[in-house]
Amino acid sequence: MIGVELVKMLRRPRTWVTIGLLNGLPTLVAILLALTDLGPRPGTGPAFLSAVLSDGTLFPLAALAIVLPFFLPIAVAVVAGDSVAGEAQAGTLRYVLTRPVGRTHLLFAKLVSVIAFVLLAVLVVAATGYVVGTLLLGDQPLASSVSGTSLTPAQVTGRTVLSILYVVLSMLGVAAIALFLSTTTDSALGAALGALAVLVASSVLFTLDAAAALQPYLPTRYWLAFVDLFRDPILWRDVLRGVLLQIIYVAVFLGASWANFTTKDITS
Amino acid sequence: MTPVRRWLLVALGVCVLVLTPTAIRSLPVADSDVSAADLLQRVQDSASVPYSGYAEAVGGMQLPVSDQFSDLAQLLGERTRLRVWWRAADDWRVDALDITGETDLIRSTDGLVMWEYEAARATYTDDPPVRLPRAADLVPPVLGRLVLGEAVAEEVSRLPAVRVAGREAPGLRLTPADSQTTVDHVDVWVDPDTGLALRVAVYGAGDTPAMTTTFLDLTTQRPAAAQTAFTPPPDAHVDYDEAVDIAAAADRFAPFTAPDRLAGLDRRITPGVGAVGQYGRGVARLIAIPLRDEDADPLREQLLTTTNSRSGRRGVSVTVGPLGLLLTPHAHDRPTWLLAGTVTQRTLSTAARQLADGPELIR
Repeated sequence: MIGVELVKMLRRPRTWVTIGLLNGLPTLVAILLALTDLGPRPGTGPAFLSAVLSDGTLFPLAALAIVLPFFLPIAVAVVAGDSVAGEAQAGTLRYVLTRPVGRTHLLFAKLVSVIAFVLLAVLVVAATGYVVGTLLLGDQPLASSVSGTSLTPAQVTGRTVLSILYVVLSMLGVAAIALFLSTTTDSALGAALGALAVLVASSVLFTLDAAAALQPYLPTRYWLAFVDLFRDPILWRDVLRGVLLQIIYVAVFLGASWANFTTKDITS
Repeated sequence: MTPVRRWLLVALGVCVLVLTPTAIRSLPVADSDVSAADLLQRVQDSASVPYSGYAEAVGGMQLPVSDQFSDLAQLLGERTRLRVWWRAADDWRVDALDITGETDLIRSTDGLVMWEYEAARATYTDDPPVRLPRAADLVPPVLGRLVLGEAVAEEVSRLPAVRVAGREAPGLRLTPADSQTTVDHVDVWVDPDTGLALRVAVYGAGDTPAMTTTFLDLTTQRPAAAQTAFTPPPDAHVDYDEAVDIAAAADRFAPFTAPDRLAGLDRRITPGVGAVGQYGRGVARLIAIPLRDEDADPLREQLLTTTNSRSGRRGVSVTVGPLGLLLTPHAHDRPTWLLAGTVTQRTLSTAARQLADGPELIR
């Protein structure tokens, strides 16, 4: 069942079109930076975008920072929202469930497929960022940490890998919310938009001082904390809180998906 | 498992996850029997205590000043995340973090370095006695000593202990005796073992603090020397600045000097040394900065566009929380003075009058 879902996801043109579009904006930004040599003013652009002008090896991080607030969650919400509701909408869910597998097993297979998509999308964005960054913007033997100390290539690689894993985990929170909504409706679009509504609400509440008590629990609260992995020494505080928060979101919404899907009346 | 049991299981899990942090925060805090005077003394004696940690400062004062005043408006009006390593008064590092980078101040016996990541720039300056407030002033022990350093026992009372950065911290309330200050009171929670201020809340009029700074993580071990050392990265721009900000530049280069006494307040540092005058004690502080026309004119325009600004014979004035500003009018034979501080508008007006009517003080 897991293999079937993975092959289905990988064979879908939509998967690769989505990943291609995700890479479009960072690539365009890299070309513009290489042509103009103009970085953003301090405090105005995505993280690491000023640093890549002198060291293209940091562009995978800038690429992730570019797509993380908006494009990546949209892609993940669309794919995860489609996972169960898409089958229902197409009228195939009943036929899928006629196979000798339990609903929990099917849900798990859908989850693995979504996780694979998230991992694939983030890895392709990072890899494309590395290739585009080093080709267009060059590289340096020693990169600078955010705190102004020098980082060896091994340190940059290690911290980049941690950042990628962190972004993947952050997106799994989105995927869990969209997957839950996908089990509650027969509309894949509705499930995706529902997940995005949660993220938009989270982003709005994050800017309000009046919502300070809620902010530590907002799903988007610690998304950009991967920048802290490039401070020296690494500031683990928000990274660890981000990891814990995403694990909680994943656990809660997967639990709700399971509770809902395993007892749901399948009519389509 | 029935549907009801499945949902009950999920609901139980959610309840445990939501209520656990609240339950931990609600654990009772053991109060200390330390007296207010004793706690005050410990804060005043804590200057040599080393520490490192992470703090957050939240300012509620929307200051109508432009970029020429460094990041003053941001410091006093927004949330600032701080990382600090403090070995001694002349050996420390304070990083002001944001989501796209950080701006760091590194102090050594050689002077001060400011590292700006996004500009990839390291700026070396001296650490002058007269300057604008900076991020390092918002570190709780620094702000705590600033507000309590000259307090006397009669001005402080005890507050119940709270838990700050995992430590049980008895509280201290400073109610200033000076009638010229606009600071109503300052609440400080202190680590009783070291005297370090862990949380400071400054109140003007009203129940909302004008400035709060709190440690979220704290270690009182001495940081390694490497932590406060700094070498600019190879591709960084390295600058050398003669003055760290507009106040330091005015103090050093303006051809005037502030009087020894202003609005009943004594000047704080050696009179006649610099152009800028710092006056008062405790939380009743006033600074008088002579400005060049090219600095004063845009500031005046900005102050005049502020909704609660007042324009009169003594200049244009604005009150932001407990902070008052007054910019004296343009005059041909005298500098324009920027008067600012935690003093009443009446005190600012008196100071402006004395500067206008008193003898001209040329250096």
